[in-house]
Amino acid sequence: MDIQRHLPPPEPTGHGDEVEVRILTPHIAQPHFPAMQVTGYGLSLAITLIAFAMVAYHWMGLNTLVTVLIVMAFIQGALQLGIFMHLREAKGTLWHLPVLALALFIGLGIVGFSMWIMLFKSGVS
Amino acid sequence: MSTVTETHRSAARPPEFEDTHESIRILGFWIFLTTDVVLFGSLFSVYAVFRNRVALGPTPHQLFAMGPVLAETLILLTSTFTCSLSLYAARSDKLKGAVAWLTATLLLGASFVFLEIREFVGDVRAGHTWHQSAFLSGFFTLVGTHGSHVTVGIAWAIMLVLQLMSRGLTVTNRRKLYTFTLYWHFLDIVWIFLFTVVYLLGIA
Repeated sequence: MDIQRHLPPPEPTGHGDEVEVRILTPHIAQPHFPAMQVTGYGLSLAITLIAFAMVAYHWMGLNTLVTVLIVMAFIQGALQLGIFMHLREAKGTLWHLPVLALALFIGLGIVGFSMWIMLFKSGVS
Repeated sequence: MSTVTETHRSAARPPEFEDTHESIRILGFWIFLTTDVVLFGSLFSVYAVFRNRVALGPTPHQLFAMGPVLAETLILLTSTFTCSLSLYAARSDKLKGAVAWLTATLLLGASFVFLEIREFVGDVRAGHTWHQSAFLSGFFTLVGTHGSHVTVGIAWAIMLVLQLMSRGLTVTNRRKLYTFTLYWHFLDIVWIFLFTVVYLLGIA
């Protein structure tokens, strides 16, 4: 089986591949130690355990707790996207971002508007 | 066997994107993940709406045992870590490392599914099936859909291990490993929200 493929030259193609976003500074150099992965793992473990402790030991009132827990879930999700799903390797792969924005828009739209409509004046929200 | 990727190691792109065809397939995989966001978004909405409709069945507070759920969460977090190490090894051109970490990932995934099935079987034995209340229907559909995704991911990982062992780190296999890690991290994000919205807020 022939696995050799004709590769395009790595130079900019003029199709927007060369666009750079400052906050997404390319970070594709392969380090000798997977520091990013270890950091991400440590942070997600810490956030999970803190969230669990907040519920187990009743650190705050219910309404505050709900908000804080959901914010922590979003932080941890962003951590996964940024560290493990390679969003920082954006040079040449910037087309990730529109698809991701689409997913966020549709997902939050579905969840937010469904709950708003279906729980409207039901008194259980 | 010399592969094409080695020649462009210093290029400005991640190695999985150097081949245009494979790069397009990664875009396609992102679009698949978007449709999965729609699926899970719908199921999360249904669960949130029916959460308090427990009929004569148990409330979330009575149903959930947090010990196994915390264990499941830690196992899944560890498996995403080993999964990212598999890609790291592949990018360092270490085939054995990539296969070993991928095997660790699928074993952790299997133990996650085992714990979840044990939880479900316990609920059903106690008479708490999805027929009992709207809350239980929403719960089993949401958590079960995530569990079936993890199961599919395990089957995918097994096939990927076999392909890596028989063909090595080819251009195609690198892209397959990359899309697998995207899938696995996506499932981890879904589980983070499941753990928070279903379990933590269920017992809060």
